[in-house]
Amino acid sequence: MPRQRPRPGLSLLGLGILALLLSGCGSWSWGRRSAGPVGWGAADRQDPALSGNGRVLASVVRRDGRDTVLLQEQPSGTVLPLRHFGRLQPHRSPSLSWNGRYLALLVQEGPERRVMIEDRATGRLHRLPLPGGLVPESLSLGSDGRRIAIAMEGDGRSRVQLYDLTALLEPDLPAGLPVRGAPGAAP
Amino acid sequence: MGADRLIRLAAVAAVAGGALPLLLTGCLAPLPQPLVGLNQRLEAAGPARAPFLSGDWLALIVSKGGRDRVQLVDLQRQQPVPLPGLERPDAQPLSVAVDGRGERLALVRQLEGRTELVLYRRNLMALQTVPLQPPGVPRRVSLRADGRELAVEVSRQGQWQVDLIAVP
Repeated sequence: MPRQRPRPGLSLLGLGILALLLSGCGSWSWGRRSAGPVGWGAADRQDPALSGNGRVLASVVRRDGRDTVLLQEQPSGTVLPLRHFGRLQPHRSPSLSWNGRYLALLVQEGPERRVMIEDRATGRLHRLPLPGGLVPESLSLGSDGRRIAIAMEGDGRSRVQLYDLTALLEPDLPAGLPVRGAPGAAP
Repeated sequence: MGADRLIRLAAVAAVAGGALPLLLTGCLAPLPQPLVGLNQRLEAAGPARAPFLSGDWLALIVSKGGRDRVQLVDLQRQQPVPLPGLERPDAQPLSVAVDGRGERLALVRQLEGRTELVLYRRNLMALQTVPLQPPGVPRRVSLRADGRELAVEVSRQGQWQVDLIAVP
């Protein structure tokens, strides 16, 4: 009696269903871990952003009544220093590049809300000028640091605008050298 | 008088000559350039908020016809891509994130009176609910560029916390 050859269509369908089943029908497949202690009591922690490689977590915590960005190595939770943002507050909407070299942030300066980027490798602070009359609400830095998307309010309308940062920032790519002081970097 | 004036002029010229490059350096410092073509397309798509940029992909929430919906834009092609199986007319998206390959999207949405975190895989056109343990109400989500982990802001018993969840 001749053996029946398996039909490739059925095999592919079966593999697809198997992949779906394996990929999350049960909660067992979702690994979880804590973001690490905030360090000063049971503070709220908001606005999380991971670096592209997941080794740095930025979040906003309330410190002395002010929303302050907190940068932590992962998975240890070790707090990483920032040169400029300690004295410029409050903060919202942090965003990190691939290795965590660049931290982009909205900073309230008096009545103005500004977009700033700290380069953790050089210690330089970049202030991004925005068109007049538009107030930034949130931002997202591209993982390579080449672009930034900014949500803005103005003229009774919300909009998202993209900016090219290549003239301002060096790329922060997966193959790049780790930032000094960053997790895994040589002293 | 002529000599004095000449000396003064020479001094002013020297100072100005030294200051001018400094002034020019300040004025000509590199500035971020708006991506005009893309911005015009985004503007035409309607009011938008909550952008998330990763690699050559932009995920955002766009309002159209009185309804908020998730849009994923391929920045290379400057075109939105379809997301079959992601949208529901009765769902309200709150926050969205995408990985650097435009394959995985994490989404917080309100549906049938509850707020949930879901993960969408574009190649499978499949949507999965991400369970929160212990239970809580998610608000903002962020996804690693390599798509392996997400960070989500969760409200539990009146406090905001951050959960880190590995994506299987």
